[in-house]
Amino acid sequence: MNNAISLNKINKSFGSKRAVIDLDLAIPEGSMIGLIGPNGAGKTTSIRMIMSIIFADSGSIQVLGKDSAIESKDRIGYLPEERGLYKKMKVGDFLKYIGRLKGIDGAGLEKTVRDWLERVGLPDCYRKKCEELSKGMQQKVQFIASVIHEPDLLILDEPFSGLDPVNSRLLRGLVDEQHQRGCTLIFSTHQMSQAEALCDRVVMIHQGQKVLDNTLDEISARYTPREVRFEPVGDFVESNVSNLAGIDRVERHNGTVWAHLSKGVQCEHVLRQIAATTPVRKIEVVRPTLEDVFIGIVAGSAKTEEERAELLALMRSTGVKTSSDVSGD
Amino acid sequence: MTKIFTIAWREFLATVATKGFIIALFLPPMLMAIALIALPLLLNKKPPSVAGHIALIDQSGVVASRLEEAFTAEKLRQRREAKVQAAVDQGTQAMGMDPKIAEEAKKAAGSVTGPFPPGMPAMPELPSLRMQVLAADANVETEKQPILRATGREQASDESDARLALLVLAKETVTGIGAPTGSAEVTYPKYELFVAPRLDPEVQGDIREQVAKAIVDARLDGAGLDVDKVRGLFSRPESSTMAVTKEGERKTNQVAALLIPGGFMILLWISIFTAGQYLLAGTIEEKGSRVMEVLLSAASPMELMIGKILGKGAVGAVILLLYGGVGMGTLVVFAMTHLIAWQTLLFTLVYFVIAYATIACIMAAIGAAVTEVTEAQSLLGPVMMILVIPMMLWMPIMRNPNSGFAQVCSFVPLINPFIMVLRISGSEPIPIWQIPASMIVGILTVVVLAWMSAKVFRIGVLMYGKPPNFRTLIKWVRMA
Repeated sequence: MNNAISLNKINKSFGSKRAVIDLDLAIPEGSMIGLIGPNGAGKTTSIRMIMSIIFADSGSIQVLGKDSAIESKDRIGYLPEERGLYKKMKVGDFLKYIGRLKGIDGAGLEKTVRDWLERVGLPDCYRKKCEELSKGMQQKVQFIASVIHEPDLLILDEPFSGLDPVNSRLLRGLVDEQHQRGCTLIFSTHQMSQAEALCDRVVMIHQGQKVLDNTLDEISARYTPREVRFEPVGDFVESNVSNLAGIDRVERHNGTVWAHLSKGVQCEHVLRQIAATTPVRKIEVVRPTLEDVFIGIVAGSAKTEEERAELLALMRSTGVKTSSDVSGD
Repeated sequence: MTKIFTIAWREFLATVATKGFIIALFLPPMLMAIALIALPLLLNKKPPSVAGHIALIDQSGVVASRLEEAFTAEKLRQRREAKVQAAVDQGTQAMGMDPKIAEEAKKAAGSVTGPFPPGMPAMPELPSLRMQVLAADANVETEKQPILRATGREQASDESDARLALLVLAKETVTGIGAPTGSAEVTYPKYELFVAPRLDPEVQGDIREQVAKAIVDARLDGAGLDVDKVRGLFSRPESSTMAVTKEGERKTNQVAALLIPGGFMILLWISIFTAGQYLLAGTIEEKGSRVMEVLLSAASPMELMIGKILGKGAVGAVILLLYGGVGMGTLVVFAMTHLIAWQTLLFTLVYFVIAYATIACIMAAIGAAVTEVTEAQSLLGPVMMILVIPMMLWMPIMRNPNSGFAQVCSFVPLINPFIMVLRISGSEPIPIWQIPASMIVGILTVVVLAWMSAKVFRIGVLMYGKPPNFRTLIKWVRMA
């Protein structure tokens, strides 16, 4: 299996800031990987180097079999995070323009554009100006622009942001289609849950360095469950549980009790013990989510509880959704 | 290469195929055409003719007969013919009108009522006037009354014989005060002229002129001098001004010599500045709307920059050719095309390309460096100063196209294309070697600027955030 992308010890600095540090990355053809990490981590810079928009200070890049990323430019599709359209240009003209720049011949271009517009549910938009479209429609047009030339590598930067559920699903279907076609997909996002849902592999970048590069299975395997959650029935005596061997601490969240396990303890063992001491309505072993893994890695570099809290706050502010945000606590 | 042309074509269409551009392009010439052609036609409705008499109270007794004769129909016609002839002569002399057209004009001038050569204001029908001499002791107040009944707009057909004006000449006006006593200073009191309020200014002027002539003639006569002889001595000497050039002598055309180079330079200025503005605004818009990232995934920054410069350059060329064509068309109509050699046109095109490329590189770099038009203002300042210098130097250079100052300016980078266009379109020939030499300077300037702008463009195009100042830009040039 060839690699669609090979990055070897890539370094990039902007002035005194080291944006990307010794990055190694090998992405097999046809795979779908999630590129996660907070803003400023170096994701965009790495992506730009893959697309030969900027060039590395040192290290080597092979993209789609070519030693220079420039030669592969026309076989890469890119969906940027923010809508990038010419406001005053007509949709059809815009798509044809991008198509032509990507090397598609003029002959069948118009038909291709019209077919695509039909596929994404925008049949009447050929003559409309880009600015007349809603955000979701613009995103779909943007998507067409990124795949119209049938690329071998597709890079999507936050493709679902701002889309309603219907359009999200539509886009997911289109993305899957590309994947089925054999296209390699890089999916850059802040939303860990989405990466989890879509990708088979995840690469995490933090402060310019790669801190994670595993398939989801590997991640699950490495990070063993550390929590048992249950809903007790009737009177619940906390000390019954917290005094059990192997339990580090117990938290109450509304009707649910979270029991954190100590290091090295088998979760099945603790599960049986809890069930024995306390009647429960529901009990489950909680596997760490990608968020938890991420936070663990990032916050793991924090020395004190204060630093950890700061880091969490910082991550939230840069757009990383943490589990507590999701559950609304 | 094809990418560059794809980009250039889109850039060109994006500007040109908009309502705003087409209106802005065609509106000024259309307005000017209306102003120059239609308006005079409308306004050229001849002023109404004048008919009536001028009353004269001559207390000196020696002027009346002269004035009576000055206001006969024949004399009025003679004076009118002379006026038209003078206008025609001025046209040929100063504007450098083709002699053939001047002949046409002269023929037309034979008819004193028109049609008149272009540029001449319409004159009314010959006034139907006569001088009515009143008694020397007539009462001024009484004689003023009839004027009140006159409107100044009576027609000959009315046969109303309105009193349009009253002239009162005191004896001293002619003879002067202090003359008999032989004192050095002789003063002449003013004469009085009462006119109907709406009397045509041309007629008023004519009256004053004839009165002055009559009085002076009377004085000469009174001093025992031969009036005609003295008048002959005073005839205004004229010059026949010829420029001595290697090509032979030719008449100088002062007005044309100043206007045409100015026209050329303004033409250049407008086309370059407009295209440059579109380039700047377009680049900033692409950055602001983030379409830049999409473009960069399809083409390199250099392909983008060159494509944009070419595309907007084509816009500038459209403006230049259109307005230049209109200008040349005007010259053809007035048969003044001999004033411009075809080489001048060719060289102007070359200088246009050089000057545009210079400005375009700067605009592309600034556009790439900022995210909003307002941020571009502070960086634009120096550029505007450059563009304004040639305008300020227009007069000094045109007065002396081959002065040391002008020659030095022809080699100053950035402004030299404008200066050269000024000089080559003037009537004074300039040393031939200076043309290719200045072009080389211009081209080298473009090369250096393009190199610097490319670096700024490459870096700036992905930079968002605080707009850079000049020092940062220099840093970028050293970096990439």
